[in-house]
Amino acid sequence: MKTILKFTALTNLALAAVITIAITGNAQAKDIKLLNVSYDPTRELYQEFNTAFAKYWKGKTGDTVEVKQSHAGSGKQARAVIDGADADVVTLALAYDIDAIADKARLIPADWQKRLPNNSSPYTSTIVFLVRKGNPKGIKDWDDLAKSGVSIITPNPKTSGGARWNYLAAWAWASQKYNGDESKIKEYIAALFKNVPVLDTGARGATTTFVQREIGDVLIAWENEAYLSLKEFGADKFEIVNPSLSILAEPPVTWVDKSVKRHGTADVAKAYLEYLYTPEGQEIAAKNFYRPRLAEVAEKYKSKFAVIKLVTIDSFGGWTKAHATHFAEGGTFDQIYKP
Amino acid sequence: MKLKRTLTLAILAGAIAGQSVLADDVVDEIKLLRQQIEALDQKVRVLERKVELDKEASVEKNKTLPLITAGPSGFTISSADTNYVLSLHGLVQVDNRTFFGDKGINGNDSFLLRRARPIFQGTIARDFDFLFVPDFGGSTVQIVDAYINYRYRPWLQVRAGRQKVPVGLEQLQSDAVTSFNERSLVTDLVPNRDIGFQIWGDIAGGVASYAVGVYNGVGDSRNTANFDFEDNREFAGRIFLQPFKKTKLPALQGFGFGIAGSYGESSVTNLIGLPGTTGGSLAGYATDGQQQFFAYNPSSGLVAADGAHWRISPQAYYYYGPLSLLAEYAVSDQHVRKVGTATAADLQNIAWEVTAGWVLTGEDASFAGVTPRRPFDPKNGMWGAWQLVARYAELDVDNKAFPLFSNPASSASAAQSWTVGLNWYLNKNVLFKTSYSHTGFTGGDTSAALTSPAAVTRQPEDVWFTRLQLSF
Repeated sequence: MKTILKFTALTNLALAAVITIAITGNAQAKDIKLLNVSYDPTRELYQEFNTAFAKYWKGKTGDTVEVKQSHAGSGKQARAVIDGADADVVTLALAYDIDAIADKARLIPADWQKRLPNNSSPYTSTIVFLVRKGNPKGIKDWDDLAKSGVSIITPNPKTSGGARWNYLAAWAWASQKYNGDESKIKEYIAALFKNVPVLDTGARGATTTFVQREIGDVLIAWENEAYLSLKEFGADKFEIVNPSLSILAEPPVTWVDKSVKRHGTADVAKAYLEYLYTPEGQEIAAKNFYRPRLAEVAEKYKSKFAVIKLVTIDSFGGWTKAHATHFAEGGTFDQIYKP
Repeated sequence: MKLKRTLTLAILAGAIAGQSVLADDVVDEIKLLRQQIEALDQKVRVLERKVELDKEASVEKNKTLPLITAGPSGFTISSADTNYVLSLHGLVQVDNRTFFGDKGINGNDSFLLRRARPIFQGTIARDFDFLFVPDFGGSTVQIVDAYINYRYRPWLQVRAGRQKVPVGLEQLQSDAVTSFNERSLVTDLVPNRDIGFQIWGDIAGGVASYAVGVYNGVGDSRNTANFDFEDNREFAGRIFLQPFKKTKLPALQGFGFGIAGSYGESSVTNLIGLPGTTGGSLAGYATDGQQQFFAYNPSSGLVAADGAHWRISPQAYYYYGPLSLLAEYAVSDQHVRKVGTATAADLQNIAWEVTAGWVLTGEDASFAGVTPRRPFDPKNGMWGAWQLVARYAELDVDNKAFPLFSNPASSASAAQSWTVGLNWYLNKNVLFKTSYSHTGFTGGDTSAALTSPAAVTRQPEDVWFTRLQLSF
């Protein structure tokens, strides 16, 4: 009996030692990893932002944060998260894509957009035209894009959030020009897409097609992507044409509740997105040609952004209605575009 | 003259005018050609870009395609993200046992299909592993292993089902890589497989390993049936350390030591499956040749397990280059009772062994076996890997067992065994072994009975083993 007790006590002690080693081994200053699943053109923004946030977080908590990025068309990224991509945060092109994650995968609550200021959109952008230097085809506004002999580059609205903003901006202009006559609007959109020789899956791919492969006369692009192209490839090769009317694009951000709970990264993921709203975060956004929300930063960078008449997604009845009408199976895009 | 000059001037003017018209035509044509070239250039660029995008789409699609692999480690189908995996492995062992000087014991010289196992292993939903192993060798088809394992972290996993109980070191070694055909006398005292729940893990990449579980409870060297004969459970646990595994001391990296044990209780009120000789949870002990040399076979009455049964087993191994050493010591303390009487005792049986090996061809030895550097290919002068192995083991039965709980005329009170062998690893999958084992007995040599254990203990056991094995 004594031997049994001694054996039991020894075993218990040894097990306790093993478990203590395992637990305390995990209680030191942490190395935290986050996965940010983002849309296509935000590479440069988050490269700079992640460095700034890591420095801030290290100073505040002593923990090291490494943010891994994933970039692709917004719709494609949303599907990847629904199918299991283990994102801690999603920073996508439009609210509808995040709504899909909330609705289909139940990873995020339905009211996610209320959790951060400005409907969870820390910065905005719009849609402009990027043309070759000298604007050889004389592109001035949306109606020029439907003319014969003009080659347009825009990504596929089925996969790219930017492409959906492009499509709706064109539709908004046509709606104004044709006083809401849907048959004429569709005719215009059809003529525009007839001029599109190749559809990339994302906005960055479309930029590559236009800028590096030198295909097309005009790229319908995110404003930030257009300015980035001028910066990276030379203002002597391209110029920006601002249309008479465009759309206010509000790319939203949120943390993925079920993922951060499982990873234990809820606090740092929330802090990461909140940092986008700070003066430093807003400065980084503005430097990367996103329109900042913070008044003082917006004022500072006012001269860098053109004043364009902008409609919002509300003029389409919100994203749910816009998606159902235009981009769902059998929507207007499917009716108009036959590859 | 004037007319000639006028005519000449008119001709010259006409020529110049004609040249100008021609030049304009050429310019227009050049402009047209340039436009056509630009249009063609754009078409070519568009086609090239479409090809590029198709390739990107194809690469993306291939990332989601399942992977199928076939090789020395078996056949595997895996989802692209490896969250779902099904692997098929196999183990076939064809043995020969030839006994010498066994004084007419019949039926023990034999070819036998020692093991014939398809092994189904896999992963579901990334963190859940499973193992299912039926065995078609031997006299009956049985399920050897069937468990589910949840991998929360490498250091914290939960396993449920039929599995090896974490006590004996040699018992825990895979059946495909043991040094000899049969395990040593020590495995007579430790449990084989049982049904239960186990928490286990490897810490710091295997520097420390632990396992602790609760099981139905199974006798020495036994496999469980598919249900428990009584309500009590058996607890088992093991800690094993390889403290130098991650150091830059190659001579010490292969050193490991640990301790394991179990504790359970049996009730004599339930006699189902508790016969006194060879079956149930109160088993006898067998030699390397799988012949019983000790049984709970008193001259009268049945013996049953009654009360506490605990085991403790310190164990160690050392691997360095071609050298392998494995040693373990096991104590099995069992409270027994003669059924229907007050005659009871605590019997403490002890066994120990040391196994050594040397790979003659220089490959590294390990707990997981030997992989030949030059697989068998005689046309190219490659002969696989060769290993010499030797073992000494003893098992000592508590003297209190005799005569109340075991017949001293037939059951031995101790066995001493030495074995030497040569293993030929043709390649990673095919192995040929041959070994010679001699086991001597203390006691049990005065009965004339023709059945074991008497027939076995009357003379030493000398047996020559061979085995041809296929595993993948």
